Amino acid sequence: MSSIPPDVASQTRPVGVQIDGVTKRFGDATALHEAWLKIGQGEFMTLLGPSGCGKTTLLNLIAGFLEADGGEIFVSGSLMTETPPYDREIGVVFQNYALFPHMSVAKNVGYGLRMRGVPKREIEQRVAEALALVKLAAFGDRKPRQLSGGQQQRVALARALVIRPKVLLLDEPFSALDKNLRGSMQVELKEIQRKLGVTTIFVTHDQSEALSMSDRIAVMSDGRIRQVGTPDEIYRRPLDPFVAAFVGDVNVLPARLERRLGDMATVALGEGRVQVRAETLDGLVPGAAVDLFVRPDAMRFADADGVLAGTVATHVYQGSHVDVLVDVPAARGGRVTVRVPGHEAPGRWPAGAHVSLDFAAGDAVAFASDAK
Amino acid sequence: MNKRPFLALFVTPAVLAALASAAALAAILQYAFRAYVPGSLDPGGFSLSNFEALLRPLYAQVFVQTVWICLLTAFITLVVAYPLAFALVRTRNVALKSFLLITAVTPLFLGEVVRTYSWIIVLGNTGFINSILMGLGLVERPVQMMFTTFGVVVALVHVTLPVMVIMLAAALSHIDVDYEKAATSLGAGPVKAFLTVTLPLSMPGVVAGVSTAFAWTFSAFATPQMIGGGRVSMISTLVYQLGFASFNFPFAAALSITGIALTFAVLAMAKQAIRPLEKIGAH
Repeated sequence: MSSIPPDVASQTRPVGVQIDGVTKRFGDATALHEAWLKIGQGEFMTLLGPSGCGKTTLLNLIAGFLEADGGEIFVSGSLMTETPPYDREIGVVFQNYALFPHMSVAKNVGYGLRMRGVPKREIEQRVAEALALVKLAAFGDRKPRQLSGGQQQRVALARALVIRPKVLLLDEPFSALDKNLRGSMQVELKEIQRKLGVTTIFVTHDQSEALSMSDRIAVMSDGRIRQVGTPDEIYRRPLDPFVAAFVGDVNVLPARLERRLGDMATVALGEGRVQVRAETLDGLVPGAAVDLFVRPDAMRFADADGVLAGTVATHVYQGSHVDVLVDVPAARGGRVTVRVPGHEAPGRWPAGAHVSLDFAAGDAVAFASDAK
Repeated sequence: MNKRPFLALFVTPAVLAALASAAALAAILQYAFRAYVPGSLDPGGFSLSNFEALLRPLYAQVFVQTVWICLLTAFITLVVAYPLAFALVRTRNVALKSFLLITAVTPLFLGEVVRTYSWIIVLGNTGFINSILMGLGLVERPVQMMFTTFGVVVALVHVTLPVMVIMLAAALSHIDVDYEKAATSLGAGPVKAFLTVTLPLSMPGVVAGVSTAFAWTFSAFATPQMIGGGRVSMISTLVYQLGFASFNFPFAAALSITGIALTFAVLAMAKQAIRPLEKIGAH
């Protein structure tokens, strides 16, 4: 299953969850504005956005904890509007895990099966399997409070998965874990998800988490889905300045649209000319002000005739790479970040050195400038 | 330098109050073991006769009735207070929240005597309830509610309600709503989710509330005295009669001491009995 490229997979797989124009209001505030989204069966979809963007609201609507003010949600082809949360067959992992403190780990995991009236022997067997899946086979008799944060996280995952849900929802499940544990839990969750092939919707505000785990990402802000795509599409071909700035670091360079030719456009950046895709420039006429977005890892030091000139200000050592901060008067904010491999930065481009910067065609994205 | 310079100053009032009540209790304790001299306010010599007298059916029956009234009151108060506390904690409607809070807590600001008097107006033979029942032609003669255990319990429930609501609300407000959401997502309907998750998690509050209600009712005096009118005897009213109508201080003291001991015993038993309830849903 994992050999199918995700973008192809999402088109060939049957639809797991379909969200058709769902709107949710709280009083006068619109938390979710006509969201449309199709999630393939077995797909790992991440809802990514800053707090207050509507991602948790959408999750609660899918789980049935909230009722939509408009639109419809389908799970495996069935309309969910009239289905109460306890009949939806959706597993939820909560941000704080919400393990029942008065029950043992095994009772927590078996809860959903007891509620379904599964025979006792089968419950024992399935609970044991679920605990083995999350590598906690020996912990069934413990109480949740006797477990570490990471272990509680696994119990919560086992409890949600043991009911064989049609959809697994995860609400910022790693936010309470320290950084190392978070990394290993991400890998583990991804492996389990692949193995079981369960449709998964993962909510996070952490863009690196979203990029590393997802088949596809829906980037949200202000109650709207801004862009849906594979991590690579989101990172390299953002359709919206918000997406470009929220996912990954970015340098913003004020420029001017020169002309459009089919799918491509030419943008004037000072004396230089840059080729960009025209898809993000709809409605703009030649001469319009645009912002060029270039990732720090796409920036390069040129020998002499780069499109930008500046002075090295300082270096930020990050281990595997070094961010060289360059003062460039032409850039938004007067400064550009250039990301280079860790071993070659400070000696070659010392602070105070005058440098010329460049980037490859296709590595820049242009949007209509929001600066007046 | 002293780390808590004001500790002695702050603790002094509490120590004084504790000493005073300990002294009073000690006085009652020594009265309980003295003989009653009829016609005299001073007690006689050492005697266990007061405690022997307690075993007489007449008095033993008052003990049983007191415990019964207290248990009944505590239980009914719990049943009435739980939904109130639940709604108070969970409602998002600010107006409803204020209304519930005021309804639940205002009785605290009226004295026990005032509250009890209002119940006399409601429960009396020509009172509110009987006037309505007779006006509607539902009954021919007034339903006897004054001077009955029923009347006393109704009034005691009202007196006890605020304390119970506050204690339950405190316990319920500490239960994360996500527990119920988790139970629901796992297939539990609202009733099952409540019975297997919310109720067991609120048990510490229930135990605290019921214990407090029991002790609160056990020591209630004005309500059983005014509504019971001498026909519903509780230990507190009996102590009053013996002490201030018969001036038998030693026997009244013995009764008080036994009452305190009994309260502790019942509370300890209640705590033991309720412990298994905390494991509901864990089977």
